[in-house]
Amino acid sequence: MKKLIKSSSSVDKAVVAKSCKSVPGAISRRTFLRNSSLMAGGAALATTVSPVMMKKADAAVAAGGKIDQVKTICTHCSVGCGIIAEVQNGVWTGQEPAFDHPFNKGAHCAKGAAIREHGHGERRLKYPTKLVDGKWKKISWDEAINEIGDKMLEIRDKSGPDSVFWLGSAKFSNEQAYLFRKFAGMWGTNNVDHQARICHSTTVAGVANTWGYGAMTNSYNDIHFSKSILLIGSNPTEAHPVALQHIFKAKEENNAPVIVIDPRYTRTAAHANHYLKIRPGTDVGIIWGMMWHIFENGWEDKEFIRQRVYGMDDVMKEVKKWNPKEVERVTGVPEDQVYAATKAMADNRPGTFIWCMGGTQHTIGNNNTRAYCAFQLALGNMGVSGGGANIFRGHDNVQGATDLGVLSNTLPGYYGLSAGSWKHWSRVWDLDYEWVKGQFDGGSYEQSKGKDVHVMNTKGIPVSRWIDGVLEDKENIAQKDNLKAMLFWGHAPNSQTRGVEQKKAMDALEMMVIIDPYPTASAVMPDRKDGIYLLPASTQMETYGSVTASNRSFQWRSKVVDPLFESLPDHVIMYKLAKKLGLEEQMFKNIQVNGEEPLVEDVLREINRGMWTIGYTGQSPERLKKHQENWGTFNYDTLKAEGGPADGDYYGLPWPSWGTPEMNHPGTPNLYDTSKNVADGGLTFRARFGVERNGTNLLAEGSFGRGSDIKDGYPEFSADVLKKLGWWDDLTAEEKKAAEGKNWKTDLSGGIQRVAIKHGCSPFGNAKARAMVWTFPDPVPIHREPLYTSRRDLVEQYPTYEDRKSFWRLPTRYKSIQATDHSKDYPIILTSGRLVEYEGGGDESRSNPWLAELQQDMFVEIHPRDANNAGIKDGDDVWVEGAESAKVKVKAMVTRRVGSGVAFMPFHFAGHMQGEDLRDKYPEGADPYVLGEAANTAFTYGYDSVTQMQESKCSLCRITKA
Amino acid sequence: MASMKFYCDAERCIECNACVTACKNEHDIPWGVNRRRVVTIKDGEQGERSLSVACMHCADAPCAAVCPVDCFYTTGDGIVLHDKDICIGCGYCFYACPFGAPQFPESSAFSSRGKMDKCTFCAGGPEEDHTSEEYKKYGRNRVSEGKLPLCAEMCATKALLAGDADVLSDIYRKRVINRGASAFEWGVNQLKG
Amino acid sequence: MMVCLVMSVFQAQAADPPPPPASLLSINPGTDLWREVRQRDGEIEGISQVKSPGANVLVNVSGQSWREYRMQELVPKAGAAIMIVLIIIAIFRLLRGRIMLENGRSGIKILRFSTSQRAAHWTTAILFVVLSLTGLTLLLGRKFLIPVFGAEGFSNIAVAAKFLHDYLGPVFMLALTWLFILFVRDNIPSPKLDLQWFLKGGGLFGKHVSSDRYNAGEKLWFWVASIVGLAVIISGLVLDFPIFGQTRATMEFYHWVHSVSAIILIVVSFGHIYMGTAALEATFEVMKTGYCDANWAKDHHDLWYEKVKDTGEPVSQTQAQASPAPGQRQSTEPSG
Repeated sequence: MKKLIKSSSSVDKAVVAKSCKSVPGAISRRTFLRNSSLMAGGAALATTVSPVMMKKADAAVAAGGKIDQVKTICTHCSVGCGIIAEVQNGVWTGQEPAFDHPFNKGAHCAKGAAIREHGHGERRLKYPTKLVDGKWKKISWDEAINEIGDKMLEIRDKSGPDSVFWLGSAKFSNEQAYLFRKFAGMWGTNNVDHQARICHSTTVAGVANTWGYGAMTNSYNDIHFSKSILLIGSNPTEAHPVALQHIFKAKEENNAPVIVIDPRYTRTAAHANHYLKIRPGTDVGIIWGMMWHIFENGWEDKEFIRQRVYGMDDVMKEVKKWNPKEVERVTGVPEDQVYAATKAMADNRPGTFIWCMGGTQHTIGNNNTRAYCAFQLALGNMGVSGGGANIFRGHDNVQGATDLGVLSNTLPGYYGLSAGSWKHWSRVWDLDYEWVKGQFDGGSYEQSKGKDVHVMNTKGIPVSRWIDGVLEDKENIAQKDNLKAMLFWGHAPNSQTRGVEQKKAMDALEMMVIIDPYPTASAVMPDRKDGIYLLPASTQMETYGSVTASNRSFQWRSKVVDPLFESLPDHVIMYKLAKKLGLEEQMFKNIQVNGEEPLVEDVLREINRGMWTIGYTGQSPERLKKHQENWGTFNYDTLKAEGGPADGDYYGLPWPSWGTPEMNHPGTPNLYDTSKNVADGGLTFRARFGVERNGTNLLAEGSFGRGSDIKDGYPEFSADVLKKLGWWDDLTAEEKKAAEGKNWKTDLSGGIQRVAIKHGCSPFGNAKARAMVWTFPDPVPIHREPLYTSRRDLVEQYPTYEDRKSFWRLPTRYKSIQATDHSKDYPIILTSGRLVEYEGGGDESRSNPWLAELQQDMFVEIHPRDANNAGIKDGDDVWVEGAESAKVKVKAMVTRRVGSGVAFMPFHFAGHMQGEDLRDKYPEGADPYVLGEAANTAFTYGYDSVTQMQESKCSLCRITKA
Repeated sequence: MASMKFYCDAERCIECNACVTACKNEHDIPWGVNRRRVVTIKDGEQGERSLSVACMHCADAPCAAVCPVDCFYTTGDGIVLHDKDICIGCGYCFYACPFGAPQFPESSAFSSRGKMDKCTFCAGGPEEDHTSEEYKKYGRNRVSEGKLPLCAEMCATKALLAGDADVLSDIYRKRVINRGASAFEWGVNQLKG
Repeated sequence: MMVCLVMSVFQAQAADPPPPPASLLSINPGTDLWREVRQRDGEIEGISQVKSPGANVLVNVSGQSWREYRMQELVPKAGAAIMIVLIIIAIFRLLRGRIMLENGRSGIKILRFSTSQRAAHWTTAILFVVLSLTGLTLLLGRKFLIPVFGAEGFSNIAVAAKFLHDYLGPVFMLALTWLFILFVRDNIPSPKLDLQWFLKGGGLFGKHVSSDRYNAGEKLWFWVASIVGLAVIISGLVLDFPIFGQTRATMEFYHWVHSVSAIILIVVSFGHIYMGTAALEATFEVMKTGYCDANWAKDHHDLWYEKVKDTGEPVSQTQAQASPAPGQRQSTEPSG
C-alpha cells in the first residue's frame, strides 16, 4: 500500500529535480508541429493538429528538459504587465509571476494569467489562405504576396494610391508600428489608421490641445500618491484589472476616496466611496456640475490657474449655467451626490482623474476630454505626483502605435502632415523629399486659405469611416476614387459601429487582405466568393521589440517561442510586401535586413533619430534591454531605479526621454511636474499654441521648472531662441552645424534639446495650459445631445453640430440625423463596454479556451423594469434592434447594474450576424471557441467633431423577446 | 508545523478571474473543470462583493470524512490532497464540501464522473514529485519548489492570499488596521465637512 | 460548523485590532460578507462565470448536515440495523429451530409458480443481492474492507462495486416492475384474513393460520418490496443520472431517501431470505422448481391448497429419490 502522507516542503529536492531530470524522448512541440505540417503537405487547409494531441505533447515535455526563463510583456492591455515565460525545448511550458516587475508585481488579470495559450494557438490561422469560389484554399507565402502586390499595383494604376486603405494595429510593436506608417507613406497615402481612432483619439486631440501632449500624464504606480481618485467612463476592474492594485493601495493607505461616474454600477463602482449614475453621454454636464460647486465654494486653485492656465474664465462662464437643477435634469444625478463627490475631490488633493472609452467615444468626445482637463486644472491637480490625467489607454501598444503615427492625420511623433514634417522625416529616412512626394497622387483634394493643398498634406480617411470611403458616392469623397482594397493588418471589424453597412462595404471591395494571427470576423462577415487573403501573422510572443505602456514607459519584449505554424512576424511580412512593391530599398535604407527580417534594434534606432517632439529619442535598444534585465531595481511607487545598472532612470524611460541616448535622460514619470528639474524628469506645460492671443499672455507666469535659468514662461526652443538667450555657444561645433535654422523638434543632433535642458528649461517651452481651445468647434466644451437621443426635450437647448460636407475627406452628418425623433420606436439607450475575459474584438481571447469558457454567451444587460415591460426574463433570447434597424440576437441579463431605460452590451463578440451563426464560414480549425453577435452591429452613425471618433457609448435601441 | 491556507479579501477581489485562468494555465485543466472560481454576491447592486473560492484545505475536511474509499490525505503542510488512483468518482466529496471544490471531468449517465479533481494548493499528489504522472493527474507541484499556488501569486489586486495561516493573519491584520484607520478618518472628515 | 473551523484563523485575527466604531464598519462590506457567510445569515448565492451546477453558491450549507447524516447516522445505524436483524433471526432459529412439514412429504407436487414468475423472482433477487452487496461495500467498505484489502485493493473492489451498482440499478427497476406485474394479483390484501394472520403472529409460535395463496406476511413483504423498492429506484435514478443539473441539495436528499429505503429493504429481505430458505422445510424448492409439495401447501396455504389440490401430480421416482425422505431430517442444521 502506498504511503499516503507526503511532506511537500522538500525544496532542495525540487531544485535538483528541476535541473537534472529530463524525460527521454520528450517531443518538442515545435518539432511536433513541423511534422504535422509536413503531413499536411500541400493539401487544402485543414486542422492538422487536434487539441488532444497537443495536450499530450505538452504534458510530455512538462516534466523534463532545461527551463529557460524569458521575460516579456503581456499583449493584452496597456498596463504592460511583466511576464516570465518558461520555455523547454522551444515549447512554452510554464508561466511564472514576475514579482520584480514594477508595474504588476507578478499580478495578472484573467487574460494575462492565461497568456501561455499563445504558445498553443490551437485556433490560430495556420497558413496563408485565400478565398476561391467561396472556399478557403491554402497557398504559399510567395503566391499570396505576389497576388496581393499585383492587385495593389493594379488598383494604384487605376484609382491611385489612396484607394488602398492601410489599417494598422495597436498590437504592433513600436518598431512594427513605425514601419507600417513609413510603409503607407512610401506607398503614397495618408489613408492609414488604427484602433486609436476609435479608442482615445478624442483624448489625444483634447488633451494635447490643452497642455501639449495627448498622453496619460502620470502612471499607474503614481496613483500610490493620490489622495483622491475619480474615474469617469472607466471600468478598470474589467479593462485594466491590475490598475486596481495601485488604486487600492491609495484607497487603503492614503484613505483616498474613490469616485466613480458611470451609467453602470460597474465592478469598479462596487468598490467606490461615491458613485454617480449618469445618463450616457452627459459627461460635460456632470463635470461642469461638479465645477459649479468648485467655483461656488471657491475650491479652485487660484494661484495655479493664474500662473499656468489660459481660458478658465471662459470655462467659468459656461459652468455658471450648470446649476444643480440643470445638472440633475440633464445627467440625472441629484445635487447632494454631486456635491459630496466634488467635495471629496476638493478636500483630498492631489487627486487623480481617470477616464477611458466611456468618455471618449462620443460625437462630443473632444469636449468631454477637455472638460476633464479643465476640472484637473481648476483643482491644480496637474503636474503633481498623485494628481494628473491618468488616461488608461486600451491595447498593449495603442500608446506606441499612436505615438508612431499609425494615423491618417500625422507622421510619427505627432509631426502632422505639413511639408515641413515630411521634410523632417525624409531627412531621418535619408530619402529625397521629392521622391516621397512623388509617391502620392499628384492632385489636390482640398483647399486651405484659397490654395490647393497637396494630397500628401491632406488628412486621410479615418478607420472609423473606411466604410463610407467605400460606399459613399465618388463625387462626395475628397479623393480621386473610392477605397478599393483594405489591408486589415491586426484589426477586428466588430470593434466598429454600423456592422451591417460594414459588411456591405466589405462586399463592395475589390480585395480584402487580413493579416492577423486569427482570421477575425473580417473573414466571415462578407458574402464574397473570392478576393479575400488571410495571412497568418505571429503574435508578439513569437518575435521581439519594444512596446509603450499607457504611462509612456517603453518595455522590451523578448521572443518566447518561434513563430507557430507558418506565421511570420509583422515586420517580416512588411518586408516581403515592400519587396514585392519595389519599396524595400527606400524602406530599409538604414535598417539591416537579415534574410527577410528587418533588424528590430535598427528600426528603433531610426525611431530614436527622428522622434524629437515627444522624446522618443533617448530610449535606445540597449537602454531598454538594460531596464528589462533589472526590473527589480525600480521603485514600486516612483518607478525610479535605486542603484543597479539603470540607477536614476525611471522605468522604461517614460517619454519624453529627451535628447540622444547618450544624454542619459531618465525619462519623465509625470508630465508637467515643475517640482523636478527637466533633466530629472520635470516638465512645464508645452508652448504649443503661440505666445499670446488677443493681448493675453499664453506663456506661464511666474511658474517654471526647478533649476530653470528662465524664471518665467518662455516659448519653444529653436536655434534663434538659443542665440537670443546667448546659449548658442553651449552647442558643440557639430551640433551647431545640425541645429542651424532648426528647432527642438527638427534638430537631428539633439543639441538644442540638450542645451535647453542644461539650463533647466523644457525644450518645448513653458506656457499655460488652455482650458479654451479656440481652434475647435466648441472652444469651451459644451454639452450636446447625442445624435440618437431619447431626451427630445433637450435637443433644442443642446443641439448637435451642423452637417459637414467634407470632413476628413467625407461628408459627415450630425443635425440631419438628430432631427428625426427615434425615441418612440427605440426607447432604450444603448451603451457598450468591456469584459475582463476578453480583449478588443476578442478573436484572440475567444480562441483561448481558458478564457472562452468563462464567457460563453453574448448578452445584453437590461434593467428589471424594462425587462418586465417587454416580458423578458433573465436568460431569455432577445433581439436588440439598433436605431438604424440592424439587430442582434443575444441573451438577456436582467440586472440593476444598468439604470432603467439603459441597456448595455459587451463588444468583444463576433461570428454571428443578425441572428445568423457564421461558424461555417471560418477556415477550418480557426473558428474561435466562442462566437456571438457583435454589439456594434446594432450601433449607429455618429462621429466626433474633431477626430471622427465613433459614437459607441450612446445610441438607441428596442429590445424584444426573440 | 505550517498550516497552508487560502484567504480571499472581499474588499479587494474584483472578479477578474485571473485566479481561475492561472489555475487552468498552470495545470492544463480541461474545459469544464474549474478548481477555482469567483462568486459574486449581489451582482450589480449596492454591496456587490466577489470572492475567489477553491478547496480551503480544511483541518477537518468533510471530503475526507465522507469518502467511501478514503482517498484523501493531509500533508505535513496541512494541504488536503487526494489519490486519483484510489478515487472512484462517486461524487460524495462534492456533496459534503462547503466550498464546491471537488470537480469532475464529466457528468454523464450512470453516474460516470471520472476521477475527482480539485485544487491541490499546487502541491501535486501522492506520486513522486515532478514526474509526468504527477503532472498529468494533479498538475504542477509548486509547493515542493518552494513556491505558492499560482492563483494567489497572480492575483491582480493581491486579494487572494495563500500561505501559512500565521503569515496570512499578519498580512490581513495589517490591512484591517489600515482600513479601520482609513474608515475612521474618513468618518471624521465627513463629520467635519 | 465546518466553515467556522476553517475560518477560525481569521476570526481570531479579526478580533485582534481595536475595532473601529461600529457605525463605520459598513465602510468595509467585504469583511461583513465573510462574517455573514460564516454565520450563515448573509446571501450565499450569487453569480459566477464558472457555470457548473452549484458554482454560483459561495458556501454549500447542506453539505455539513449531509456529512453528519452519512457519518454519524447512516454508517453506524445501517451497520447496527443489519446486525440486529441477523441476531433476531439467529435467536428465532435457536428458539424455533427448523420448521418441518407436519406430515412429511406427500409425494404429490402442485404447480405454485410459473416459469416466468420464477424467472422474474430470481432476476430480481440476484440483482437485489448484487446491488445490496455493492451498495453496502460503498457504505461500509471503508470501515471493514480497507483493513483487509488495503486502500488500493479496496479501491479496485469499490470501482467494480460502483460500476455494477450504477449499471445494474436501472435493470433492477425493470426486473422489479416485471415482478410486480406478475405477482400483484394474489398479493392484493384481503383484510379479514390478513388481519387474523397478523393477530396470530403468522403462526410462527403456534398453530398454522389459514391463508390463501400468499399469507399476510408474504403480502407485506411484497408491498414493502414494491413501495420501498420504488423509492429506492426513483432516488437511485436521480443519483445515477446527474445530467439534469441536479443541485447538491437535491442529490443529498435523494441520497438520504436511497440509503434509508435500501437499508429497510435489505433488513426486511433478510427475513424473507431466511423464511424462504432455511427456516421452513420444503420451501426453497418451491421457488427453485416452481412446484410445492401438497403437504407444504396444506400446512402454509390451506385455502389456496383447497383451490388447487386437484392439479397435483405425483412426484417422479427420480425426484423422490433425489430428495431426502420425509421426517428423516431433524432440526440439526445450522441456523441462518
